[in-house]
Amino acid sequence: MTEGASLPAGSPPLIGMLGLTKRYGNIVAIDRLDARVDGKIIGLLGPNGAGKSTLLKALLGLIPYEGGARVLGLEARTHGADIRDRVGYMPEQEAFLAGMSAVELCTYAGELSGLPRTEAMQRAHAALYYAGLEEKRYQPIDGYSTGMKQRVKLAQALVHDPEILFLDEPTNGLDPRSRDEMLELIAELPARRGCAIVLSTHLLPDVERVCDHAVIMHQGRVRFVGSIDELRGARGRDTEILVEVKADAARLGEVLTEAGATCQVVSAVTLSVSLPETATNELVFRRAREAGLQIRGLGVRRETVEAAFLRVIGDAPKKDAQP
Amino acid sequence: MSTTPPVSPAGTIHDLGYKRYVGTRRSAGTRWLVIARNQISSSWKTWWRYKSSLALAVIVTFIAGGVMFILSDKVIRDFAGAAATTMSDAALPKSIQWYTRAAFLVSLTIGARVVAGDLQSGAFTFYFSRSVRPRDYVIGKLGGMFALMAPINLAGPLLLACARLGLSQDVDQLIGSLMLVPKAIAIGLLGTLVFATVPVAFSALIANGRYAIALWGAYYLVFGFIVSMIGRHSDSWIGALDLATSLDAVALQLFDLHLFTGRAGNLDPTVALASILVHIAAAIAIVGYQVRSAHGSGVGGAS
Repeated sequence: MTEGASLPAGSPPLIGMLGLTKRYGNIVAIDRLDARVDGKIIGLLGPNGAGKSTLLKALLGLIPYEGGARVLGLEARTHGADIRDRVGYMPEQEAFLAGMSAVELCTYAGELSGLPRTEAMQRAHAALYYAGLEEKRYQPIDGYSTGMKQRVKLAQALVHDPEILFLDEPTNGLDPRSRDEMLELIAELPARRGCAIVLSTHLLPDVERVCDHAVIMHQGRVRFVGSIDELRGARGRDTEILVEVKADAARLGEVLTEAGATCQVVSAVTLSVSLPETATNELVFRRAREAGLQIRGLGVRRETVEAAFLRVIGDAPKKDAQP
Repeated sequence: MSTTPPVSPAGTIHDLGYKRYVGTRRSAGTRWLVIARNQISSSWKTWWRYKSSLALAVIVTFIAGGVMFILSDKVIRDFAGAAATTMSDAALPKSIQWYTRAAFLVSLTIGARVVAGDLQSGAFTFYFSRSVRPRDYVIGKLGGMFALMAPINLAGPLLLACARLGLSQDVDQLIGSLMLVPKAIAIGLLGTLVFATVPVAFSALIANGRYAIALWGAYYLVFGFIVSMIGRHSDSWIGALDLATSLDAVALQLFDLHLFTGRAGNLDPTVALASILVHIAAAIAIVGYQVRSAHGSGVGGAS
């Protein structure tokens, strides 16, 4: 459903799902997911209980499921271990070993992922350095602050050189500055480490800031898969523009309404315009010229990810009403 | 995909010469070795967790070896006054219970926390989000415990058996004593297996290290004492549920020592051996089942 942004043409998608279903007894946690997901930083969005973590577990090959789930072209059911060697996972909850320092933990993580000890140690230092823990890496993790622990979790997920990183709520519990730093680290990863990222979060500003693609889940179903631009423009919202004129915005509104646009006067010199689906910005310039009005500025009025998310979730039918 | 890291304009991200790893990876079937090695190295870090008990085992070996050497000709008589055995022959079997005590200390400081500590700290997520299978984890943890217990339970008796061979007066006596070596290995292996598995099973039952230690300690000391007393007074098999008494009974039988038998005196060695083997098998099954159960729910947290 999306274009491949990080893999060469002809490569399998980062993640492919076909009728992916997971039931816990009578409860359907994820329900017939069909999606082909690509991108550099993919936001996995959904309210609590949407099935995000269940989906991550299925993709890591940790739980049995019905249907198909492929990661990097490998079926998770049969190649879970191979997938986990190529995927880094940063869990939401604490997942440390008591008494270990950051460098010991990351070295151990690298070895468990199959790296030789020397290589694991070198990469542990590099990953911790990347995560900004260069001075503290020999101290026991038990004494770390929340922000430092988040950085260790990121480093341990990176240490074995994964092709995809699954990050589960990586900015949870962080103060604004640490959150900025964590998002900067995440945003830089595809270019610096050549890996794609699946960012599972409920913090939509984080997604808006770093993600280029999004998967929205609600009530165990996928409601949207595509680029952030497609998400914002999913109902033609990219055609909503804000026009600034020298004077008489109302007059411009009249002529554009005659041309089929929907207009709303914001102020004497500002007009919000929703163009017909087939029209382009050229229509605004042409009609303004014909009416003798001078345009001083024109910008696309974009929907926020938050608004788009709420729209997608709001559009979703109630689960009870589904067949 | 670019593999050349650009320079961060903000200067806040440090990335020194990153290169994609192109070498071979350790095969999935050998990941348990990494877990076992980590188990050993983390136990070796502090003196009180392992080194102190190892030191106790070394001291026991020196004392028993010294007794063998210095009092080699001293005859021990039974209550009727008849010669029953020599100090050099009795030193090895009587030292077994001291090795058992040292091993019990290690089981308290390490064994009973092995799985419980990981459950408590969320380490299952750490392990199972990688290509570690439940059996790798179980084999790694039990293998690590075996490697820690073997120098205490196995090496000491083996050294004493060798020392006893060295004290032989002639070749005939040496040949006659050769069976001491496999017997020492057998009882050493049995003790090692008990303390490498049973405490770990208790640690797998409770996701809290302290409670797991308390439960194991209560089972071994309190429950063991009660059942051995009941077994002694009722002359029944129930005393075999006490692991310490059972190990002692098997050791005394192996080395054919029938003096100063204590609580083990009334216990049938065959029943004792069966109890030990059942404990070991049940412990491995419990650890395997608990780890497998936790495996599926160990990653992800709430959605």
